[in-house]
Amino acid sequence: MAGFEESDSAPTAPHADPRGDPFLRTRFAIPARPAMFLRRDRLVRHLDRSCPTPLTMVNGAAGAGKTLLVADWATGRTEPLAWLTTEATDQQPAMFWAYFLQALRASGMPLSAELSCPAEAAGATDAGRVDHPLLARLAAELSARDLPVTVVLDQYDRVTDQVIAEQLEFVLHHAGAGLRLILVTRTEPLLPLHRYRAAGDMTEIRDAELAFTPQEAAVLLETHGLRVPLHVASALVDRTRGWAAGLRLCALAAKESPNPERYLKEFEADRSTVADFLLAEVLKRQTPETQDLLLKVSVLDGFSPALANALTERADAEPLLAGLCRENAFVEDLGHSRYRLHPLFGEILRAHLRMRSPGLEPALHRRAAAWLRSSGSLAETLGHGVAAGDWDFTAGALVDDLAIGELFTGPRSDDLAALFAPMGPEATSPAADLVRAARELSRSDLEHGLTHLGRARRSLEGLEGSDGLAESEGDGRPPDEAPGPVAARLSCELLEALAARLTGSPGRAEMAARAAEGLREEIPAHLLERHPEVTALLLTHLGSTRLWAGRFEDARAALSTVTESPGTAVTAAAREECLGRLALIDYLDGWLCRAEHKALEATTTAATMATAAAGTEGPRPAQPPDAAHPTGRALPPGAAHPSGLAQAPPSGMARLVLAAVAVERGELSHAQALLDTTDGPDGRGGRAGRGGRRGRGGSEGDPLDPVTEASRVIVAARLLLARGKPSAALAAVESAVRADVVSPWAQGHAALIASAAHLAEGRPETAVKLLQAVPDVQAACVVGAARAQLAAGRPDEAIDLLDRVRPEGRTGPAVTVRATLVRAEAAARTGDAAASRGLVAQALREARRERLRRPFLEVGAWIRPSLDTAPLRVLAAGWLVPGAQRPVEAPRSEDRPPPMVVEELSGRERDVLQRLARTMSTEEIAADLYVSVNTVKTHLKSVYRKLAVNRRNEAVRRARELHLL
Amino acid sequence: MRYEIRVDGIMSEAMVGSFPELEHVLMSGQTVLFGPVIDEAHLFGLLARCRSLGLRVLEMRQLPE
Repeated sequence: MAGFEESDSAPTAPHADPRGDPFLRTRFAIPARPAMFLRRDRLVRHLDRSCPTPLTMVNGAAGAGKTLLVADWATGRTEPLAWLTTEATDQQPAMFWAYFLQALRASGMPLSAELSCPAEAAGATDAGRVDHPLLARLAAELSARDLPVTVVLDQYDRVTDQVIAEQLEFVLHHAGAGLRLILVTRTEPLLPLHRYRAAGDMTEIRDAELAFTPQEAAVLLETHGLRVPLHVASALVDRTRGWAAGLRLCALAAKESPNPERYLKEFEADRSTVADFLLAEVLKRQTPETQDLLLKVSVLDGFSPALANALTERADAEPLLAGLCRENAFVEDLGHSRYRLHPLFGEILRAHLRMRSPGLEPALHRRAAAWLRSSGSLAETLGHGVAAGDWDFTAGALVDDLAIGELFTGPRSDDLAALFAPMGPEATSPAADLVRAARELSRSDLEHGLTHLGRARRSLEGLEGSDGLAESEGDGRPPDEAPGPVAARLSCELLEALAARLTGSPGRAEMAARAAEGLREEIPAHLLERHPEVTALLLTHLGSTRLWAGRFEDARAALSTVTESPGTAVTAAAREECLGRLALIDYLDGWLCRAEHKALEATTTAATMATAAAGTEGPRPAQPPDAAHPTGRALPPGAAHPSGLAQAPPSGMARLVLAAVAVERGELSHAQALLDTTDGPDGRGGRAGRGGRRGRGGSEGDPLDPVTEASRVIVAARLLLARGKPSAALAAVESAVRADVVSPWAQGHAALIASAAHLAEGRPETAVKLLQAVPDVQAACVVGAARAQLAAGRPDEAIDLLDRVRPEGRTGPAVTVRATLVRAEAAARTGDAAASRGLVAQALREARRERLRRPFLEVGAWIRPSLDTAPLRVLAAGWLVPGAQRPVEAPRSEDRPPPMVVEELSGRERDVLQRLARTMSTEEIAADLYVSVNTVKTHLKSVYRKLAVNRRNEAVRRARELHLL
Repeated sequence: MRYEIRVDGIMSEAMVGSFPELEHVLMSGQTVLFGPVIDEAHLFGLLARCRSLGLRVLEMRQLPE
């Protein structure tokens, strides 16, 4: 056997799980067979015969003997075998795969270093996701093995996440003969079982086969010291339907009874439900202490004797548990001094507890929570705290552990949000208010969030100087470890920084950051180390607020601290947000490629795969009806198709930046598609759709701060402008973004767009005035103003403006190319064609690297003669105008740039064109637009000219190519 | 919607206590649990509860309103 041994020679876990908790070693151990275990050879042989099939499913009711059968079989194997007992906490794919990989390591299988924990893979991923390349690598490594590795997933029914099933299927499929999977489960897994069945690739052992035969039942009873004739055994099998747990309880009860034979007869005649009746029988034969212990630990999942003692308030758990294990009654030994109740009996015992001691359950949960808090398991503490209904305690445990940031980011965020969702108003501690504020702010609910944050702050200030928080009383945590108010105060400053970011208040954010800096020194170092997300979130909020205030350098300092720090699962979302914002800064500075690069980095953080994306956004090939499936259950879309493991959707800000870059490149449909998939101004619809069942948390939604909102407005307006809809663009930038202070760049860009819209509609003076109102420190605005002056017929003033500010300094091509084109146009107007051509050539050279097409499309018709000259044609060929030689990195066909520079169509020309596309006649168009036929003809002529065509159908075709329709 | 779940065997008081939202009657060696079921999720939850208590579900049907 190659299971995980207790000895030190076993491979030790080098990693913690994605939550940062150490791996639970008991989950890799093959369960021990109890002394009275009965090996049934027919089943073992069936498992042996299953060897050639990649998938084996042992499927049966609770207590059917599935786990012990496979455990017994596994112990006799010589080839590599990994065991993993899955748990309900494995619903996050990253957690599941972290444990899966660790199980392989624990079995002694050498895994390459590249197969690190999903959380550590390739920088960072949201722990709700798993790296798709990681799974592909795992499958590749498995398929390269000479000897297949067998992986047993026990209690697989606890994994209900469809994405995990899809990923498991992906790995199983691609690992080929290198992996044999054995699923031990109560319910049918969400795998395409019909395909495996049809191909003969699957071995199934189900209830009917697991059921005891009368002969086996007779042997089982004999191991308990009961000799019965075959007809009695047969009757028992009838009564219990061969159910292992039933027979075992029956044997235990009969053994204890004064007259076993009569007892068995009575049982046979009784009509009670089997487990219920037998368990009550066996339970009442235990000593009062054992009964008390069993009933009380029924509220726990797994437990140590010490925790059991805490619940019973006695000290005898250890010998009692050992005795129960020996007897094989109710309790399973998980090793490492950890036990659990047999899941079936646990449920029934809980029912008995409720009946015998109504009202005791919450008290038991409270005791368990207090004990666990002092032993350091936060997740379990919170679970029992909530089960006890003690919200002040539970919130206090979270805040004191400095774990409040995990409500926003990381693998636990959804669980935590769900955990605290039912919290009522009765909890009044500062910690409870902090948790409330965090939940509300995470939903961008400022009004309620600020109210609760204010209340938490006031009560914390009231506590200043006192020894501890109300909620830290009596929890058994040694006083020197209780950071109490300090952790709460740091949490408070974190939320303050978030509130400042959401309201766009730079001063408030700086204050919070300074206060947090001071508090950090008072916090125990290990707490800060355990919660890198606190620092990352603080810097994200601070950087975003500085960005809003237009302090790009300071913003960059804060944001890049986060992106440059080593990524972990809990900081992945913050890193993504920071990258998105750094990308925005580059875009605003005019550096398209840099912006694009960062935005892509943010979106992929190494080709991650979102749970939501794989499940809902992946391609959905048609599924044949699942006729062969006995339950008739439809398969989840994409479950059978590894190709459905789609790439994660970029986060909001990164998408916006990519859309903005696409607009600048004239790839308008692409821009529109990106924009359509970001959250709307209301923010909720898109988010809910994309978040899917993961809800919020993680990376699918940046907080709705003014930076995001303003960026969205700007990108949408720029796209409208590029599509020749200036009045719509004008209306778009007029929608105000709410914030405490005005953001210079948001204001500047809004003015710039408005000015361009007025220019497009032939109102250069209005355009000039709009930009005069903006302080001329922003290079982009200066260039815009120069262009407006030029349009107003004042080329000298335009050049003056450019000379005064010299925007060519540290800004990127998106700004400088426009400046150069203004100079070129001014030169063209003064008749200096050579100088103009030289400047256009300079602009082309600079723009080519970035595929920056928009500036050339928006300048008007004067540039066409220049571009038609031979030297410039070469410079523009391939990316701006069709070239003789095809560009090496041709853009994807649907995003092919407009083949020719065109002059913008006017709104009326566009109206005519649209009707032309609907094959309306000139007369019909005239009637529809309430204009004369001659007017329509005039419009048509200028449309033909601008599109460089001669006929209607050509005009329509060209307009389609140019995305004008 | 209202449902009725017919379970094999006579359920004890403790066992019936695991279905506080349902009423029950015992008849001819079977237990019939019945009552309002909120939605599908609830329905499947009830089935899972039966499974985890080792109960054998003989029949499950929607009752006319």
